[in-house]
Amino acid sequence: LEKTEVGARITWFCSGDNAVAYLDGHAFFDNRNNYPFPALLILDIKLSRRSGFEVLSWLRSRKDGLQRIPVVMLTSSRHSVDVNRAYDLGANSYLTKPDTNEQLTKMLATFDQYWMSYNEHPSLGVS
Amino acid sequence: VKMVESAQPGTILLVEDDTADASLLIRAFKKSGVANPIRHLRDGEEALAYFEGIGELADRGKNPLPILILLDLKLPRMSGLELLQWMRPRRHLRRLPVVILTSERDPTYMEAAYDLGANSYLIKSPKEEDVLGLVELIQKYWIGLNEPAPIVLESRGSSGSLHL
Repeated sequence: LEKTEVGARITWFCSGDNAVAYLDGHAFFDNRNNYPFPALLILDIKLSRRSGFEVLSWLRSRKDGLQRIPVVMLTSSRHSVDVNRAYDLGANSYLTKPDTNEQLTKMLATFDQYWMSYNEHPSLGVS
Repeated sequence: VKMVESAQPGTILLVEDDTADASLLIRAFKKSGVANPIRHLRDGEEALAYFEGIGELADRGKNPLPILILLDLKLPRMSGLELLQWMRPRRHLRRLPVVILTSERDPTYMEAAYDLGANSYLIKSPKEEDVLGLVELIQKYWIGLNEPAPIVLESRGSSGSLHL
């Protein structure tokens, strides 16, 4: 993502629990000036502790506006079971990681243009 | 309803009541060399009849389920949001990517669209060069990059899925 010079600030989590803690505003992340709500969530399926599916289903079950955050799955799995499950849980899009860095850079450039420049993000209605 | 297998690229459904906007989009798709056939429907009810395969529309060879839906919000008879709400509980339409394409910037509509299961929300432009860029990006992202769910056959009773 850095290579494609995405203008957005990116916060990275390797565990599903941490992602949920951030979105939920737990102790460490409770200052929204420092830890703002994301415009978009990129989710892998295989995460430690809580899987991408669990994070997605937790997010979509919210009733306070947080449930509207667009979620793009980015994973190496092409299994139809995973693709179906992602859409059924409310993923906005499903991308599979390409084989080469060059393809990945290209993919992320299109990704960035689509989601960060063109797509309209919903207001979350939470503060 | 019979499934007809073919090597043809998937159909893009455009649900748009404004003739000028629709022809601008269709022209842009042609110009950008998108191989996918574009099917234009004029309101939510027409789209509903298409999905239901009513009458002549029952022939899925001629009227295939789309791989992408570009949906305007303000439509006569049945609005885009109503159509979306009708689609999502249905097994064979639940996972179809629906991109809202509208001039409506009211956040209430955006929130409702995402809450009802829209995949994305785009603002349409009346300018030809902007529309061309938008159409190319839609093609690049949704046809080129996004992984679609396997097609779910419409069923009268039993059901199954099919990889294309």
